Amino acid sequence: MAGIRIAAALLLLAGAAPAWAQDANAGKAVYERKCLLCHGEKGDGKGPSAELLLPKPRDFTRGLYKIRSTVNKTPTDQDLFRIITEGMPGTSMPAWAVLPEKDRHNLVAYIKSFAPEVFKEAPKKLELPKEVSSSEASIKRGKEMFDAIECHKCHGTEGRGDGPSRPELKDEWGHPVAPANLTKRWTFRGGRARTEIATRLANGVLGTPMPAFLEAVEKPEDIWHLTNYIVSLGPDSPQPATLVTVSAVRDAIPDDPGADFWKKITPSNILLEGQVIVDPRNFNPAIDLVSVRAAHNDKEIAFHLTWDDPAESKGDGKATFPDAIALQFAPQQPPGTERPYFLMGDATDGVYLLRWEQGKGVTEVSAHGPTKLAPIPGGEAAGKAVFKNGQYALVMKRPLAAAGAERPTFRPGVFTPVAFQAWDGGAGETGPKMSLTSWYYLRLEEPQSNRKFVIPPVVALLTFAVLGMIVRAARSRAIQ
Amino acid sequence: MRKTFVALTAMALVGSAAMFVAGPRLAGAQGGGTVEVDVKYNGAPVVEKLKVNKDTEKCGTETAIEKVVVGSNKGLANAVVSAPNTKGAKPVKGMVDQHGCKFVPHVSVMTPGELELKNSDDILHNIHTYSTANPAINKAQPKFKKVMTEKFEKPEIIKLTCDVHSWMQGWVAVVPGIAAVTDGNGVAKLENVPAGKQKIEVWHETLGKQDKDVDVKAGQTTKVTFEMKGK
Repeated sequence: MAGIRIAAALLLLAGAAPAWAQDANAGKAVYERKCLLCHGEKGDGKGPSAELLLPKPRDFTRGLYKIRSTVNKTPTDQDLFRIITEGMPGTSMPAWAVLPEKDRHNLVAYIKSFAPEVFKEAPKKLELPKEVSSSEASIKRGKEMFDAIECHKCHGTEGRGDGPSRPELKDEWGHPVAPANLTKRWTFRGGRARTEIATRLANGVLGTPMPAFLEAVEKPEDIWHLTNYIVSLGPDSPQPATLVTVSAVRDAIPDDPGADFWKKITPSNILLEGQVIVDPRNFNPAIDLVSVRAAHNDKEIAFHLTWDDPAESKGDGKATFPDAIALQFAPQQPPGTERPYFLMGDATDGVYLLRWEQGKGVTEVSAHGPTKLAPIPGGEAAGKAVFKNGQYALVMKRPLAAAGAERPTFRPGVFTPVAFQAWDGGAGETGPKMSLTSWYYLRLEEPQSNRKFVIPPVVALLTFAVLGMIVRAARSRAIQ
Repeated sequence: MRKTFVALTAMALVGSAAMFVAGPRLAGAQGGGTVEVDVKYNGAPVVEKLKVNKDTEKCGTETAIEKVVVGSNKGLANAVVSAPNTKGAKPVKGMVDQHGCKFVPHVSVMTPGELELKNSDDILHNIHTYSTANPAINKAQPKFKKVMTEKFEKPEIIKLTCDVHSWMQGWVAVVPGIAAVTDGNGVAKLENVPAGKQKIEVWHETLGKQDKDVDVKAGQTTKVTFEMKGK
């Protein structure tokens, strides 16, 4: 009995002690190999690559940490360990789960040594109000609170990070800082889990404009109603597509991006990356996702694109430029798997762009590289764009068939290579400074025919007729 | 054993109570003087005007960031004047209102303790302090939260900002000693300053800090002038 007790006590003791004895000196060695390039030798966030990054790497010397499970300034060791292990979505901070666990614990100790004053104060754990699970009523209450506490001032009416205060926001180091796009939970710095969202709401994001709301909601449980509302604003992950299907329709295709017609088509989400191959490179692309819907009838093909952009930009030509987006195709359906160079082709193999630009509308363009664009004379493309609450919705249309060597003809049933490019002119993107994709595939559905409505009933009728004849023959035989 | 402990505790209690009562009296018994501080600035006022693009019904369509306010006779307004080493200063509770998307007053003083933050604008503000000695806070104050109280226990001059309205800026000086803020003519009076040699300090948000030793005489007003230099 006593033996068991002692064993239990020992276990308890082992549990209470940190899982790893942290060794700051060992952590320093790891830091210098893995962290120094961004966070700097002195831990001040001024490593050699820092200037390319946005958000900027953390300056450990201030001891200010965004993601804490505590009410005071001091994060817990576990908070730091988690960020090291899982990284920070939407930033350049990768997940370091590849490092041995011991190294990561040692890193925590070393990072803390940059701001010993802050860590003299013990972390004070945040007590979240009792969890409220999601329901229609809770989401409704969350929306009420969202409006009452004016989240839209920074995050925008529909949560796309496009609020009126957005352009002025700075962190405590004076760097511009963007409010989170609440419809893209997978980019939340501290994670997309409900508890994480509730914690950010309750104690804020230190060093940024995001304040603590725990004492600023009407009732403590409103933190959970807000969480449930935020979760209702968008999907858990971007659910990226690999193929864009162009629906075959019989009717006319509406130009209006808001038409019900488009809501019936399932979107394909295409993820974009910054262009970092040629100068000027775009290390911090503004547009990371375009939702594509497409349809064709026997005459034309139409693309419906939506993407988030915090502000409509026509550009001043100096710091800002017109917003733009483009779909890229091979000028002629390539034989086999050969395609032009994905970055707008090259001198020998050009590409065809169906391009929309703020103020210019939809144009057909021939490109031989990212800086060699030439409008195609006699272009027949048209379209309409609408900007609302931090999102563009655009319809681009074109006849299926086209003349000339520079313009492709779209054929049903064929896998057609397609790529995407986008520019947030308000963020200074223009020319090669863009976000883009490599080649994807587009497939036009075969046109629907009347056959499927005619053949099955005819077959059914014939079957009944034959059955009837058999029955009749059997009966007459029986009578005989 | 227990008895001795009780007796000791009682003695300690009585002693501290006596000190508590005697403290302020002692300061009064020494006899205080008044220090009239005149803060001058020979430069031009610095005012940044900017257009407001949101909450215009509360904030107006234009606002001004008054970095240096100069009144008549080159008097510098909004400077904190203090006798930092004086003890037994009357406790002054901090009080700042967010009104018309400005911190009112722009500069105020308090003794270590509570700061009352009002929101009389009926819109969201957030109190974001740039404090280092005191805990840094960034707390939302939505329209329905009219009053919020925060504690600042350590001497420090704290910058207040609001991220929703980036032009909003205010200062609260937490001073354990006697302190005041200069008026529109650059004058501030420090009352009941203990007689004798006292350090008088002046601080301004953009023009920095200066101090001087002043001989304070009981029952009299001592005048002292500071000339702030442009940066």
